[in-house]
Amino acid sequence: MDEVPANRVGPGAGVGRVLGTEHTTTSGFRVVLNDDDYLQLDDLVVVRTEVPKVGEVRTYGVVTESEAIYEGAQYESDTHRIAGEGILPAAKVRSARVAVTRVDPEIWVSPDPGEVVERAAGEERRKALYVDEMGRPLPIGMGRDGEPVYVDLDFFDGRKGGHMSISGISGVATKTSFALFFLRLLSGRPDILGEGAANLRVLVFNVKGEDLLWLDKPNRFFDAEAAHIWERLEVPAHPFPSVSFWAPPRPSSGDVVVPDTGGRQEGVAAFTWTPREFIDEGLLRFLFTDSDDTRNQIPFIEERVRAQLSRFAVDVEGSPGAVVLRDPSEGHRPGERVIPHRGEPVITDLRSMVDAISRFVDPEDGSEPDQKWAGRVQMGTVSAFVRRLHAAVSRVGHLVRAGESRRIDRTRHQVTVVAIQSLHDLGQRFVVGALLAETFVEKETTGQRLPLSVVVLDELNKYAPRDGTSSLKDMLIDIAQRGRSLGVLLVGAQQTASRVAQEVMENASIKVAGRLDAAEAERAEYGWMLPSTRARARLLKPGTMVLSQPSIPVPLVVEFPFPPWATRKEEVDERGEDPFAGL
Amino acid sequence: MAELFVEAWAPEYGNPFEADVDLADPDKIDDTVEIEGVWEPIPGVDDGVATVAFVDGVRRVDARLTIDEPTGPIPGICGTYAVGAACWHRQVPRTDIERVRVERLAVFGHGAVAPVPVAGPQISYRSESVSGTDPEELVQRFHGAMRRAEAVLSETLAQEGCFVVADGPINDLSATEKVGFIKTHRAPYLSAERIPVVASLRRGQRTPLFLIGRDGAFPRYSWYQRLADLPGGHSWTGVVRAEVSSHLDLATARRIADRTTAVLPLVASEPQVEPRAPQNLVPIAALERRLRRHMGDPLLINRALRSAVARQRRAVGVSP
Repeated sequence: MDEVPANRVGPGAGVGRVLGTEHTTTSGFRVVLNDDDYLQLDDLVVVRTEVPKVGEVRTYGVVTESEAIYEGAQYESDTHRIAGEGILPAAKVRSARVAVTRVDPEIWVSPDPGEVVERAAGEERRKALYVDEMGRPLPIGMGRDGEPVYVDLDFFDGRKGGHMSISGISGVATKTSFALFFLRLLSGRPDILGEGAANLRVLVFNVKGEDLLWLDKPNRFFDAEAAHIWERLEVPAHPFPSVSFWAPPRPSSGDVVVPDTGGRQEGVAAFTWTPREFIDEGLLRFLFTDSDDTRNQIPFIEERVRAQLSRFAVDVEGSPGAVVLRDPSEGHRPGERVIPHRGEPVITDLRSMVDAISRFVDPEDGSEPDQKWAGRVQMGTVSAFVRRLHAAVSRVGHLVRAGESRRIDRTRHQVTVVAIQSLHDLGQRFVVGALLAETFVEKETTGQRLPLSVVVLDELNKYAPRDGTSSLKDMLIDIAQRGRSLGVLLVGAQQTASRVAQEVMENASIKVAGRLDAAEAERAEYGWMLPSTRARARLLKPGTMVLSQPSIPVPLVVEFPFPPWATRKEEVDERGEDPFAGL
Repeated sequence: MAELFVEAWAPEYGNPFEADVDLADPDKIDDTVEIEGVWEPIPGVDDGVATVAFVDGVRRVDARLTIDEPTGPIPGICGTYAVGAACWHRQVPRTDIERVRVERLAVFGHGAVAPVPVAGPQISYRSESVSGTDPEELVQRFHGAMRRAEAVLSETLAQEGCFVVADGPINDLSATEKVGFIKTHRAPYLSAERIPVVASLRRGQRTPLFLIGRDGAFPRYSWYQRLADLPGGHSWTGVVRAEVSSHLDLATARRIADRTTAVLPLVASEPQVEPRAPQNLVPIAALERRLRRHMGDPLLINRALRSAVARQRRAVGVSP
């Protein structure tokens, strides 16, 4: 009989073989590696198995864990005998765990033990990642192997699914950076986005710092390495070409309206609503977005007052945007302009509006409230309502003023950045509510999916918290549920998905996570991750994200490149030209 | 009154202290070949030998067979043995299992030979016969085949320049650098006045050489050495006997004995991990484990054999 080969595994075909000492399954298997090769996390592999009556079945998978052991060592101290003294023979065996991503053709059988495992490259790699089955594959970053990883846009823009949810710890998870990177890909690859690319409109809220106020400026730290990746993604490595910046006015800027931003004034427009716009769009409801507000009867009175305001408001001659409140029984016609009576209060800002409302619901002379305005709610509720109104005056009062219209024009540029970081929480919710409502109503009226409207909103847990109800939360749930068919797509980001309304999370087809808090990663909201991915999510570096999409059954890890736009004032390349234009 | 000890060896391996009467004939022993006078322990000398090849074999009876002859049943056995070497490359340092050979052999009594059907890939038995019918004789033949394979491998490796340490007495007495390593003490080879020196050995020391089997067919130089000073042991705990061919000149034999005495304690096993510590050397234990694995799963082979025989019977039309 022939001599048995020596104890070590020699070089062979592929990178290794399917392990035969434990069962392979249709969800995963292990690979014993050849001596001269390796597999690392996220590598893609393929195994060919000869199945009786079917023929060759190819099993594709992604490496989720890498392992090594001394085979032949029985005791822990054997490690010294093997590696130190060299007196105990042992084979170093390296292996990798593979999660199956695909079986082709779809005969769901486990791969045979002992079959050669190969790296999936070229067409095989595309198959492993279902790129061949994707309607519109958009490269959304690079895999560990330096090749692009794709996302199916059909699952973002509403054709088969919609919305994206990004989770991760503040600061290191780079949620906003990823969202912007994704937006840049969307706007930079009209060839893939297709019909949705025309008139694509993006609404971005800057909720912290002033990170997003430099999207149109080149970044001076952008280097050739990053440029190369952008080149691979086939997106021009330029700042966003079409951006407008909006900020609320400084609270005490008098008649001059100056945007309330720190580092950047140039190119930033201040936005306000006139009392007329405030009343017509029913923005009053967005002053009561605290979840506490729904526990008493405040929504009831708010709804009544909102309706009455819109019935009573009459434009004022010579003062655009200002209104007076007159009983409709007096017979004014829509669009009519009137000259105020002597002593008649004119509503030119939020303070005068609140005063006017108070006159109906909480008269100063102590008489009974006007039941047409206050309904039959208890006096305590009325007081609470008025108290909140007064509080709102000091927090968002500067956002409402008569005069020329300064509302945000989302059609002017492709990307509209609204800087609300300087506003109080109440003010932030007010602006977000007002703009989302505007966007949604617009699309509801047309009933068309196109043009697409993308909304990027960080700290989603503040606007659509898991507990309580508010008109803002209701609207976000509405967008999550119906926005897909109306072309309103939400890119929501949050530190903790477990604090966001479930309906909003569940409707996001594409789920992304950066570094997660260890306790957070164990929650059911991250059930889409494999256990190994979950363990790794605690260690992810900035610039690395885990991505899940309906068309691939396992989450993928992607790296996205450094942005060519500045994210801080210090990063702005003052030369104003792209230093890598020639690359 | 003599002191009583419990052997550290697990009971199923037998007692390391067993009598081997054959070679212990005082007339055939010369304990003056190295030191004529009073014996003292001799320290070993590690000459830095580069490669030490530990050679061993394992065997297993896979099934008992019977040839149903009209004249009466003829007994047989079939079994598998494997031999190989654990080569300790001391410079690297690493030990590799090399030259593994697996052999399957059927032995029948009464001089009868029947082919054993092939039971699967790599499960085919060569058939041999012995004249007797005693089951012990069948096993002895099988055992001998393994010992011969071990001897061939030892000789091959020695001729290639390895320093060979074979498990068990040496069979091939050619003048190459092979050491037989005997774990169990079958008989006291030494006279009453020489014996106490064994008890006085420390780890890495040996007795002077003595010649055994003098004037016989298999003369060899032998010595006792201690592998380890185990706490709580009796005076012979950790003592093994080693032997080399006496066809080597005495100087070479002494050099090999010195080397063996110094080197073997380095690979002695420890009682917490090895039931036959320290005698069952670490590389040899690992080699045996590996060889057993190469022989294949015994239950699997037994079933494969039964299936193969049943298939054959069906093929020739014999009802089960």
